[in-house]
Amino acid sequence: MDFLANLLPHLLNGVSLGLLFALIALGFMLIVGVMEVINLAHGSLFALGAYVAITLMGWKLGYAWAFLLAPLLVGAFGMLLELCLRRTYGKDPLYGLLLTFGAALVIEELIRLVWGSNEKVLQLPATLNGAVFIGGLIYAKYRFFACLAAIGMILLLWLFLEKTPYGAMIKAGAHDAEMVRALGINLPKLRLFVFALGTALAAVAGIVMAPIWGVRPHVGVDAVVPAFVIIVLGGVGSFWGAVLAGLMVGVVVGLTGAYASEWSLLSMYLLLIALVTFRARGLLGKKTALEN
Amino acid sequence: MQGNRRKLLQMLAAGAAFYGPWKVNRVWAQSGQKKPLTLGLTMDASGQYGASGQMERLGAMLAIREFNDKGGVLGRPIEAIHIDTETTPATGSRVAERMITRNEVSFLIGALSSGVANAIGQVAQKYGCVYLNTNSSSPTESGRDCHRVKFVWDGNGTNFANAIVKNAIRTYGGNWVLLTNDYVWGHNTSKATRQLLEANGGKVIDELIVPQNTRDFSSYLLKLQQIKPAVVAAAVGGDDQKAMRQQVVQAKLDRAFGWINNQQDWPDVYGLGPDAIFGVFGTTWYYRLDLPGVKEFVAKYQKTFPGMAIKVPGNVYYNGYVATRELLRCTQEAGSTNNIAVIKKLEGRKMSAADRMQHHDAWINPDTHQCQQTIYMASYNDKPAEADDIFKILTQADPKSVADAGSMQSCKLESYAQTPSYEQ
Repeated sequence: MDFLANLLPHLLNGVSLGLLFALIALGFMLIVGVMEVINLAHGSLFALGAYVAITLMGWKLGYAWAFLLAPLLVGAFGMLLELCLRRTYGKDPLYGLLLTFGAALVIEELIRLVWGSNEKVLQLPATLNGAVFIGGLIYAKYRFFACLAAIGMILLLWLFLEKTPYGAMIKAGAHDAEMVRALGINLPKLRLFVFALGTALAAVAGIVMAPIWGVRPHVGVDAVVPAFVIIVLGGVGSFWGAVLAGLMVGVVVGLTGAYASEWSLLSMYLLLIALVTFRARGLLGKKTALEN
Repeated sequence: MQGNRRKLLQMLAAGAAFYGPWKVNRVWAQSGQKKPLTLGLTMDASGQYGASGQMERLGAMLAIREFNDKGGVLGRPIEAIHIDTETTPATGSRVAERMITRNEVSFLIGALSSGVANAIGQVAQKYGCVYLNTNSSSPTESGRDCHRVKFVWDGNGTNFANAIVKNAIRTYGGNWVLLTNDYVWGHNTSKATRQLLEANGGKVIDELIVPQNTRDFSSYLLKLQQIKPAVVAAAVGGDDQKAMRQQVVQAKLDRAFGWINNQQDWPDVYGLGPDAIFGVFGTTWYYRLDLPGVKEFVAKYQKTFPGMAIKVPGNVYYNGYVATRELLRCTQEAGSTNNIAVIKKLEGRKMSAADRMQHHDAWINPDTHQCQQTIYMASYNDKPAEADDIFKILTQADPKSVADAGSMQSCKLESYAQTPSYEQ
């Protein structure tokens, strides 16, 4: 009984961690799933989101405005990146990979130039600061806000993809680009929009995670690796697969952190190896032609 | 045919071996100038200790600038080359190998991570190149992993534990949890803390290992609340520590236990805000020590490196500066860059408190090659004189009282004969 009472907070903590991991992976998943581009600049855009928010807050705009405006600005920056990517479409995927890798380095150095190399702090409003007591344990209040933000973003993105005509076009574009083009939909514009949305989501994740992980130019590296693990684990292109994988990774990392702490970072990779060994397409990935 | 080709290759190799150095030296001989003395700066610019690596590099650059303003060393101008060691031991080895064999550096300087320092030290010893470990502080650096060519300038985990543990048991109690960064510095610092704690009647009730690059500490913070220790002794450094401090403050756990941080590097807390400076920690230098020369040293930093995000220098910059300065002085006194001559000048070297801007005289232990120096204990400053005045120096310990006896037993320096001769 004591063991269960001790375990429960760690399980709940794992779920909250999982929601944050899912949030980090959302933009990455959208761009990979729809455009089949592995955006290695996702981490740098994540960092850029946090830096832009800090700057906006420095202009006395307040946390809420920074939370809204920074993703829009980073999304616009993402559009520029997509324009550069266009020459790589239809070619060896390595070209896109190399371009986004180069972009990641450029953005990181740009951050160093503009904001410097030192640690920055994203100041939270007083209402989000502080701690709450639950079951005799202390939790950071901000953690709850971060989880709510993650749930909100997951639901909003799902509603957008499933319940709006734009979402239908995006999904159709991912499924059969030629047919979408034949139907008269402007595919380049659609791709531009999807890339901007994906980068804006990276920026949202960066802003949400900034008070937890801190803000430094290379913080994006900490985001892109779990994002990659999560989309492979969930099944490339699967929305709920990514969410489920995020939760699984969160629970595994949370529990190993508590009971076998030296394994906490390694555990997500072990989970990936174990799952892919038995189910190569990931949790909710679609069957390939060979498997049918 | 095969024989001819082999012969041709042998001739080419022999030609390159002769012509390469001849070409380089001929250029200096013809120019009438002395060949510059090149220092290889092996400092992290990325990874867990990227921010600190940049600061120690600036410290070394200031010392180089001061010597160049006086005409260099041995009449030779001093140049520096820097390659990022990425807080990765494998990169450290590669960088050291390259700097010695290709860049022909006279000396190697720099390290934050003890894993990287150990890797560089091994390569340096292989060639006989004198290496200054400026800021990495695992007790093994001047113990099990010591080398004839390596000199350790920072206080180590045992020095800081010696200064802090007894006091903390008296203040907070004897049930401790160790929070250990999962690499050589973390493990050896926690080992030293455990030994001292147990020798003084305390008990380690749990040890939580923190893998390098951990960003989320929520599981650890929950676990600590379940264990309910009197003291959490953290040996967590660099970016990991920044994330940990922020999350501890967010959860308001900074006052739930006594927090001991073995050593607190200045770049790791600068800019985090006053709330994040909790617990008791050690350092080797502070920019507001009331000692002659400190104000001028701070002013010089601000004048030499204007517009820096870190507006006042800290311990990491200080170590980079004093280590480089002492090496160049020793080279000048030795009258040569010959490694053995410089090593002999450094071994047992005495440095006055006034010269080093500390409270006690310092010296380099000839048996371990570690600089024995004043250790300060500090906490958050609740009455800061200015915005950057975030540390309150609680007390200072003289080098003898915090000496690392374990290192003296485990360090086995190579003999002079076993150390290859090296001179650039």
